[in-house]
Amino acid sequence: MRVTQGMLATNSLRHLSQSYSNMGKYQDQLATGKKINRPSDDPVVAIKGMYYRTNLTEVEQYKRNLSEGYQWMESSESGIEHATQVIQRVRELVVQGSNGSNSPEDLKAIGVEIGQLKEDLANVANTQVAGRYIFNGTKTDSAPVTIDDSGITVDMNTDAFKVEVSNGVKLKVNINPTNVFGSELFNTLQSIEDALNSGSIESGDEFLSKIDEHFDVMSAERSEIGARYNRLEMIDTRIQDQEIIASRILSENEDADIEKVITDLTIQESIHRASLAVSSKIIQPSLIDFLR
Amino acid sequence: MTSTFYGLEIAKRGMFTQQSALSTTAHNIANANTPGYSRQRVNFVQTTPYPTVSKNSPVIPGQMGTGVEAGTVQRVREDFLDVQYRSENNKLGYWDSRANALEKMEEIMNEPSDSGLSITLDRFWQSLQDLAVNPTNAGARSVVRERGIAVAETFNYLSTSLKSIQGDLKNELDVTVKEINSLASQINNINKQISEIEPHGYLPNDLYDERDRLIDQLSSLANVKVTSNPSGGNALAIAEGSLTVEIVDDNGNSLGTLVDAKNKKVNELTVGYKKDSGLVETVSIGQKTLGVLEFNSTGKISSLIDSYGYTYESGTSIFEKGLFPDMLGNIDTMAFEFATKFNEAHKEGWSIEDYNSKTHTPVDFFAFGEDGLTDSKGAAELIKISQDIINSTDHIAAALPNADGEVAIGDSQNASKLADVKNKTFSIDGNTTSFQNYYESIIGGMAVDAQEAERLTANSGVLKDAVDVRRQSVSAVSLDEEMTNMIQFQHAYNASARMITMQDEILDRIINGMGLSGR
Repeated sequence: MRVTQGMLATNSLRHLSQSYSNMGKYQDQLATGKKINRPSDDPVVAIKGMYYRTNLTEVEQYKRNLSEGYQWMESSESGIEHATQVIQRVRELVVQGSNGSNSPEDLKAIGVEIGQLKEDLANVANTQVAGRYIFNGTKTDSAPVTIDDSGITVDMNTDAFKVEVSNGVKLKVNINPTNVFGSELFNTLQSIEDALNSGSIESGDEFLSKIDEHFDVMSAERSEIGARYNRLEMIDTRIQDQEIIASRILSENEDADIEKVITDLTIQESIHRASLAVSSKIIQPSLIDFLR
Repeated sequence: MTSTFYGLEIAKRGMFTQQSALSTTAHNIANANTPGYSRQRVNFVQTTPYPTVSKNSPVIPGQMGTGVEAGTVQRVREDFLDVQYRSENNKLGYWDSRANALEKMEEIMNEPSDSGLSITLDRFWQSLQDLAVNPTNAGARSVVRERGIAVAETFNYLSTSLKSIQGDLKNELDVTVKEINSLASQINNINKQISEIEPHGYLPNDLYDERDRLIDQLSSLANVKVTSNPSGGNALAIAEGSLTVEIVDDNGNSLGTLVDAKNKKVNELTVGYKKDSGLVETVSIGQKTLGVLEFNSTGKISSLIDSYGYTYESGTSIFEKGLFPDMLGNIDTMAFEFATKFNEAHKEGWSIEDYNSKTHTPVDFFAFGEDGLTDSKGAAELIKISQDIINSTDHIAAALPNADGEVAIGDSQNASKLADVKNKTFSIDGNTTSFQNYYESIIGGMAVDAQEAERLTANSGVLKDAVDVRRQSVSAVSLDEEMTNMIQFQHAYNASARMITMQDEILDRIINGMGLSGR
């Protein structure tokens, strides 16, 4: 094949520009830290990148929802615990009141305490978390229990308040408030209070068994929320794992391997130098330089 | 016996001929860097020997050579390589232009990134999740509205940006058509000049080069086939004649004649746009009009038509195709379907407004301008947040009635449902998919297209370069070779001159040194 100076020059230029374009690619990768800069660099990486990003956003969101779930459940649980303590105290007072050695004044004093406990319970039922009544189902804007001169009115919503904690999994984060702060409880307390105030507590055993009933229902609700809390914790662990996995996969998918890129760049640099040296040697001499 | 001055004549011819070869060498060296220049060669021919064969020819021992003359000055070129070069250049023209268009599209779509449509939808979804856990919070509602606006604005941005690039492509298409017609008329002019020179027995090498250069340029814009039309008269056998340039389809069948060598005229290429959509409908060459589908020819012009968009009728339907119309269509479909599905879910829910007034008045979340839309066309450009939502975030419907038909303000079931719209499976554009996946498939399709275009640009570039190297191997000027030739011709010239000195001495002997005896 006949080779001319012009061909050598064109070849040199083509090799140099190819070498520059390779270096440009590595420069982009180093500057951005990404393997690809546009989808066509690698369509699969690009699509996966979109998918993993969405995945990561979702995981982050579920984490946020989880912390909301924790807040609801922990507050609910502490509400139940408080209610349990109140009921235990009421039970003690009823036992104390029904042992027959109390004067009507003593009973009235006990009645006053029961009244106080009742109001305390009403206040717990009206617990607000971040401005929302957590013991009123989905009617979070209004208090479930109202105390006024006519006594205690209970108007409770028992709908489940659900939070999405992972894809398609909606977990109930509130409790059934009627099981803890239901009107029956307040009625029982009211009748105990009334009986004590009237100076005699004849149906003490009946009251005790009623209190025990309430206590059982409360405990059942408490263990149920405990069980759900465990589930929440399990999901939390899983979500945290998922976050780590999603971040790692996202990084594996699209982050440039810096060590490799720098090595490649160094190799490319030496190729480029060689290419420049070769070009300068080849293009210079021609027959003209050697004639005469 | 030959004449006395016979030797002088041979030497003189030798000097003239070597000198013309030296001039051609000088021309070659001077044009060593001229693009498209083919080196020229003087074809040396021996002059007719003496005596010529005839009845009255003198009887001498054998025919004597009478020297050399410059027969023709021919350019050294291989036609077949031109055909190959133009075919590769044509493909390069197509793929390079397509890759450019897709590159711009990729830049607009900007995926995967932290600012594309995908992430905007993700953020919108997040705001709905936040609303779902906090349905009474005015802040959460505002965020939903703002993120919704961001979604609508991203659709608007994508649509208007794509349309603006599409407009640029139309300009480029018009410029390319002008370029083709200008090249065609230049080729036609050269054809005219050549057909005036060739009948006199000359070879207008530099005009050939110029014409080939123009055809090379033309080949990147349109798929051309070149045929020769001899000039007649005393044209030499190696004369190239006038060239007819036809635009051919992918199978090599002629679609029309661009440069008519026989009639020395140009049939202009024109592109016809459809009135309402502005897309390419026809391509005409002279009087011949082709539907855009018939113009299945590679080259930059077709690539621009493909990218910008074309329209055709089939049966009773009108189709609009092309890279940009397809992408705009996809974005429109997505905006339309997303808004429709989102609105459907939104209308089922109860807003704070509904809760307060105790009546369910469904409102849209997204809207398409004042008049609304019946199909997806233009949806991405028009989509915005509905006036109701702009007026008050209390119109955002987060709640659903419970089993007893009662609605609570803290209920967030509908907010969850709204969040689900992004990932729920629907039938979109005939495919059962989610919006997330649909959008991923749009971007994936674009990416694969762009990758293919880039790969084929590189491939056809390499092939074009390879053919070009072979063409240069034949036609390019080698300075070393010219220097060698120069020395060769110079020596031959000097030797011829020396022959004259020698003849001079012979004549001196005859004239001044002979017949002196007895004086």
